[in-house]
This record gives sequence, C-alpha cells and structure tokens, in this order.
Amino acid sequence: MMTRRARVDSMKPSTPGPTRTAPPRMPDNFPGRGNYLGYITFGLCGFVLYAVGFLMLRTIWALGSGEREWDRLIEGFQNPVYILFHVFCVISLTWFALRFFGLFPKTQPPNIGRFKRPPDIFFLVALNGGFLAVSLLVIAVLSGVLL
Amino acid sequence: MKFLMLKLEPIIWQLFGGGMMLGAFLYPAYLLVIGFTAPLGITPIEGLSYERVLGLASSIPGSVLIAATISLPLWAAAHHVRHIFIDFGGLERDGFVGLVCYGSAAVGSALAIIAVLRLHF
Repeated sequence: MMTRRARVDSMKPSTPGPTRTAPPRMPDNFPGRGNYLGYITFGLCGFVLYAVGFLMLRTIWALGSGEREWDRLIEGFQNPVYILFHVFCVISLTWFALRFFGLFPKTQPPNIGRFKRPPDIFFLVALNGGFLAVSLLVIAVLSGVLL
Repeated sequence: MKFLMLKLEPIIWQLFGGGMMLGAFLYPAYLLVIGFTAPLGITPIEGLSYERVLGLASSIPGSVLIAATISLPLWAAAHHVRHIFIDFGGLERDGFVGLVCYGSAAVGSALAIIAVLRLHF
C-alpha cells in the first residue's frame, strides 16, 4: 500500500499527456525501513562530514594563531562532551567509509580508460586494505611514532 | 541558481568524489587520535605538541594535504546534504538549498586555504 505523496518533481511532465497517471508516491518503507534506512543514514553522514571539516578548519586556524591558542584548543578537547562528540563522529564516519567502499565497485564502468574493469573483490580489498593502512599511518604520525 | 548548478555539476562531482575519498580515508583515524586517544592519554599527547604539529603542517606536502582534507570533504558534505533535502523536500527549494550548501563549502574551502597560508606567515 502506498501512503505519502512523493516529492519527485522531476517526474512531472512539462505538459499534461493524453494518458491520466497517478501522481508518484513514496514507498511505504521510506525513509525508516529496508534499504532506505541505510541510504538515508549514509546521506545524513553529510552533516557529520560538515562538522568534522569545520572542526578541522578551527584546529588549523588555532595552530596558525600561536602556541597559546593551540594549547587551549587541545586542552578543550579533553572536555567529556567533545570526547563523546568525537567518538560519535569516529563511529559514524567509519561506518560511512566502509559503506562507501562497499558501494564503490557498483559505480565503476565496464572499462576504465583502455583497461577492462577489475573484479569487485579487487576494489574491496584495495579500498578496505588502503583504509586500514592509511588509518594506521595517520595514527602513527599524530601519535608521534612516525615523522 | 538551478541552471548554474546544472552547468557546474561536473566540477561539483569531481570535488564530491575527491572529498568522499579523503574524508573516508583520513577522518576516522584523525578524529580517533585528536579527539579520543590523545585527550584520554592512550596515545602520547606530545605527538600533538605545538612545535611538532606546526612543523608537519607548515611543510609543503603537509599544507597541501591539510587544505585538501578540509575543503574537499566540505563539498562531499554539501552534495550529501543537498540530496537529503531533495529526498525529503523535493526540488522546490533546491536552488536555495544548493546555494547554502555549496556556498558554505566554497567559504569553508577559502577559509581552509587562508588557514594554511597563516601557518607560513
């Protein structure tokens, strides 16, 4: 059973056709159930990306403002509210990354340039392996183990 | 505005794709250290000392990476948020929503470049 009217304005023809058609409607399980839940949650991670992007901007801005400002910022990150927020961001963006890597092979065409497209498993291993390697590298650098 | 966004769609997609990659690869580990393990003392806080971080960030590769890591994911975020608004609200206000989303990403990108340049002067 269809319930709500869909807001898919692009489906509307510019001029009425000779055949009467029912207006498009959203499926029953939109947005909270079935595949829609993951799709909407993935989209909502855009807000987390915004927040982290602007937070990183603030961090670099503080770095450019001098040692006192930097130390104040790092001290501020010890606030439990900030720690909880960061944990939430780590969990949501890790899920976002893994879902993105899972979706990535489906976006690739049969031929990439002159070469035949590699099998899905190649993308999955390369992206997930790369994610693990890059994450370990970033952790090592920011912890002072490397560089 | 809608016409402009359609014209700019290929460029926005390039920025979106780059932002997805950089955000997905770099943000979780960055957040884990700067926002969780270092403040709780699990990883040494000395790794985030002012001189060390300034040295890394003000190198040419570090500056380029930081500018890209701030600005490109903002474009990915803008594209995601715009499409969430389309899913829930239709295309009626897409011109305004697109302007706010991509406008904030553009302002954030400009500020990221300024923030990185401030490290050098």
